[in-house]
Amino acid sequence: MSANMKNLRYRLARRFNYEARSAGLFILPVMSVLAVVAVFPIVYSLYTSFFSLKLTRPHRVPFVGFDNYTKVLGDELFWESVLRTVSFTLISVSAILILALFIALLLNETFRGRRFISAVILIPWAIPTVANGLLWKWIYDSGYGALNGLLMQLGLIDKYVTWLGDPGKTIPLISNAFVWKEVPLAAILILVTMKSIPADLYRAARVDGANLLQRFVHITLPSLKPGFMLVMIYETMMAIRHFDLFFLLTEGGPADASHVISWQIYVETFRNLSFGTGSAMSYILAIVTFALAYAIIRTLGRKI
Amino acid sequence: MARILFDNVTKYYGSVKAVDRLNLEIVDKEFLVLLGPSGCGKTTTLNMIAGLEELSEGDIYFDEQIVNFMPPHIRDVAMVFQSYALYPHKNVFDNIAFGLKMRKYDRAEIDKRVRDAAARLHIEHLLDRLPSQLSGGQRQRVALGRAMVRQPSVFLMDEPLSNLDAALRISMRAEIKQLHHSMETTFVYVTHDQAEALTLADRIVVMQEGVVQQIGTPDEIYEKPENLFVASFLGNPPINLLEGELAAEGGKMVFQKGGFRMHFPEDMTVKLQAHTGRAVTLGIRPEDVNEQGAAMPGSAVSGTVDTVLPMGSEQYLSMTIEGTEVFFRLGKEHKHKDGDSVSLEVNRNRLHVFDKETRRSMLWG
Amino acid sequence: MSAQSTLFSERAEKWRFKSRFSERTRNAVIFSSSLILLVYVLAPVAWLLSSSFQSEAEIVSVPPHWIPHEPTLENFDAIFFQEFEEVTYDTRRKVDPAAGGYIPSTAKDLVPSMWNSFIVSVSVVILNLLVGIPAAYAMAKIRFWGRQASVYTILTTRVIPDIALVVPFFLVIKNLGLLDHVLSLIITYLAVTIPFTVFILVSYFESLPDELDKAARVDGCSRFQTMTQVFLPLALPSIVAVMLFAFLTSWNEFLLALMFTQTIASQTLPIVVASFTSDFTISFSFINAAGVVAIIPPVILALFFERYIVSGLTAGAVKG
Repeated sequence: MSANMKNLRYRLARRFNYEARSAGLFILPVMSVLAVVAVFPIVYSLYTSFFSLKLTRPHRVPFVGFDNYTKVLGDELFWESVLRTVSFTLISVSAILILALFIALLLNETFRGRRFISAVILIPWAIPTVANGLLWKWIYDSGYGALNGLLMQLGLIDKYVTWLGDPGKTIPLISNAFVWKEVPLAAILILVTMKSIPADLYRAARVDGANLLQRFVHITLPSLKPGFMLVMIYETMMAIRHFDLFFLLTEGGPADASHVISWQIYVETFRNLSFGTGSAMSYILAIVTFALAYAIIRTLGRKI
Repeated sequence: MARILFDNVTKYYGSVKAVDRLNLEIVDKEFLVLLGPSGCGKTTTLNMIAGLEELSEGDIYFDEQIVNFMPPHIRDVAMVFQSYALYPHKNVFDNIAFGLKMRKYDRAEIDKRVRDAAARLHIEHLLDRLPSQLSGGQRQRVALGRAMVRQPSVFLMDEPLSNLDAALRISMRAEIKQLHHSMETTFVYVTHDQAEALTLADRIVVMQEGVVQQIGTPDEIYEKPENLFVASFLGNPPINLLEGELAAEGGKMVFQKGGFRMHFPEDMTVKLQAHTGRAVTLGIRPEDVNEQGAAMPGSAVSGTVDTVLPMGSEQYLSMTIEGTEVFFRLGKEHKHKDGDSVSLEVNRNRLHVFDKETRRSMLWG
Repeated sequence: MSAQSTLFSERAEKWRFKSRFSERTRNAVIFSSSLILLVYVLAPVAWLLSSSFQSEAEIVSVPPHWIPHEPTLENFDAIFFQEFEEVTYDTRRKVDPAAGGYIPSTAKDLVPSMWNSFIVSVSVVILNLLVGIPAAYAMAKIRFWGRQASVYTILTTRVIPDIALVVPFFLVIKNLGLLDHVLSLIITYLAVTIPFTVFILVSYFESLPDELDKAARVDGCSRFQTMTQVFLPLALPSIVAVMLFAFLTSWNEFLLALMFTQTIASQTLPIVVASFTSDFTISFSFINAAGVVAIIPPVILALFFERYIVSGLTAGAVKG
């Protein structure tokens, strides 16, 4: 074989050798499935966002470039929903982080009944969002709800209060339902991180004379950073795009008090039937989510 | 298989060269040891024989067949790993039998081979246990058994003894050597422990940073190191190295460093004659001195003992020669203490000289 | 010397006292926090349960009866055993709809919808495993060009909000005639579940020792056999965790099901339950009973497989 031939045969063999072939075969199913169910819709949505596609006049679909985006970004309603989303997310994620931390701290200790508790706390996480929605809707009910009943019996109020119907209270109430369901998973993620902190660090600190609080501040908290990061990114993503509770509890009301971005997208796409602007909004949301996740990783990740 | 041949084999990890133009022929039935510090490429080379790593350039032949991209499960090699890599969910019998099962041997044959190997390794009573229920030494035997039953053409071992405690290590070395004799198969063994290499090998390949430093029998490597690295890597305590120059004195070649002088014997003088004035490193192994000789200046090392390290059957003395710390090994006939004045006769036939710049030996290679 | 030793014995004395005291404080803190946690988690669920056993009349008491004074099974009866009662002007007049005491005829849809949910969830789990396990093994153990990129790409597909997926899916599904068919849900749920599955499995596979992989390959396993004979058995905790996640996600999913299903032919449990919630004429206790039925399967599963969740998410538990 001439030198060139040998070289070529060599390089072909390299490319398609056993390792690469088997890796390719193993990855093929997942990539093809995702190409169809994930990549295609993503690309198609992006494509749609550059057209003015309204189902009210489905036969005229002009190409508008970035017009949909500018329209969305210029819309005051949009920015108001952004604000509401931000407040919902901030409240929820902070509450989740704090509660999850305490629960993880508790579960990290050994005591009788710990297995029971670790199993039981999974219940909120396991139930469908629908059930969660109807559960809290019932509790918040202004006429017969448990919240009113409880507060009345405890003497904290003297007559029934409207909860979900009050624009000032809506976001925190929905947030409470959201947090209640999300906390167990967050707690487990943090617990898993906690369990991987080497015991020797604590032993060294105790020999050095550190008390409980100091050990917590100087060892536990810094070592939990990856766990916090993961929970923060995940729950922020979940909170920003959350739809179900807004649909079930308040349908964006009352008086737009719970009209968050995901609701806005729903309204625009399925009630106003403007697919073009709806897609544009979704894309803006996606970019923001991505940027947020990236920002969190960069700021927290570097300090590790 | 009669031989394994590496023809100009290079392996890159990204831009790092893990193995650089390796040329090596492994002869049938020999016990070859790949020796060197961590990161020298010895494990990579072993993995390339097994097919676990793919080479970047060059060719590897088993007999006359190129095996460059042949996957490991087709090659006829068996391997013992540093961490033993026993299958945690299988018991000892199934661990040992696994390779045979994969190659579709029939049940009776598998049973026979596994029990034979278990008997040979004295682990028959452990066949039902899980790896987690075994001690380190037992796990190691199971790993050996798993490789043995395959009766492969090549036996590969990647630092199998490093996780054992010292006493066990010595006895296992003997067992491995016996195994080699009884199995009459090629063994390729990787280690960073030079004592292990010297004990076990028919031939040693010394490597550093991907480059072969020297290939030879243990004697050749120890007594005729071709460069500074090989000389210092083998031997415990390591060879003493003194930096100085060559000078000529009355027809004889001499090493000098400050006030210290060492005369070279006739055969070495011949080789060194052309290099008067060259900066060199002189090597004296700690065991190449004695107290019986006349200990004349030019053939001896004299000074005060800084520290005596008693070692049970012998003693190590540390001294300073012209600012360089050196160690010597002596018997215990004359027990020394710190601060003693000593004069030790040097066995000048066993001196080593290395060019300071190229670090290559000036006497051989 | 003696000054030092008295100082030491003084500190030892103080410590002995403190430790007994702090032991009791620790127990008290743990006990009270556990109690608070249990109440936080269980109270809403308990109230749901209690409400479901109350009759229509009782449920509207003010203040509410925390424990039913006259527990009844009529709500569950309606769900499981109700015969279709002809909705005539008479029957509707029997109960005053404005009081919200009405049990809808769609109550009979609850059980079939559970069956739909079950089919969808099980199919999604099976597909996740078939597709995810080989991919995870390859990404964790085979060093190939594009490996790093693959993992990130897969994770990035989840950045887009689910709402954005609806329109493209809807158009395709409509054109394929799959609207109102469980298959449409199965396919779309794959997009939602696979990235997480792959992420969990890859982390776990990566924590399994590389040398096991090498040993198996030298022993004569092809890559596929290595995966099935050696790594699958060892990765069981993470596989169970993944199955649980995929099942629960599919069972609980709401938005996509809302969009792609129209009749009971394909409606899943959350959709049917939601339809009750938005109808103000329906009896509260019935809604709660529907809720209880909806939560029982996932809760049982979660409780049953709880220990796999933690161990499946914890890498690094296996040593060779």
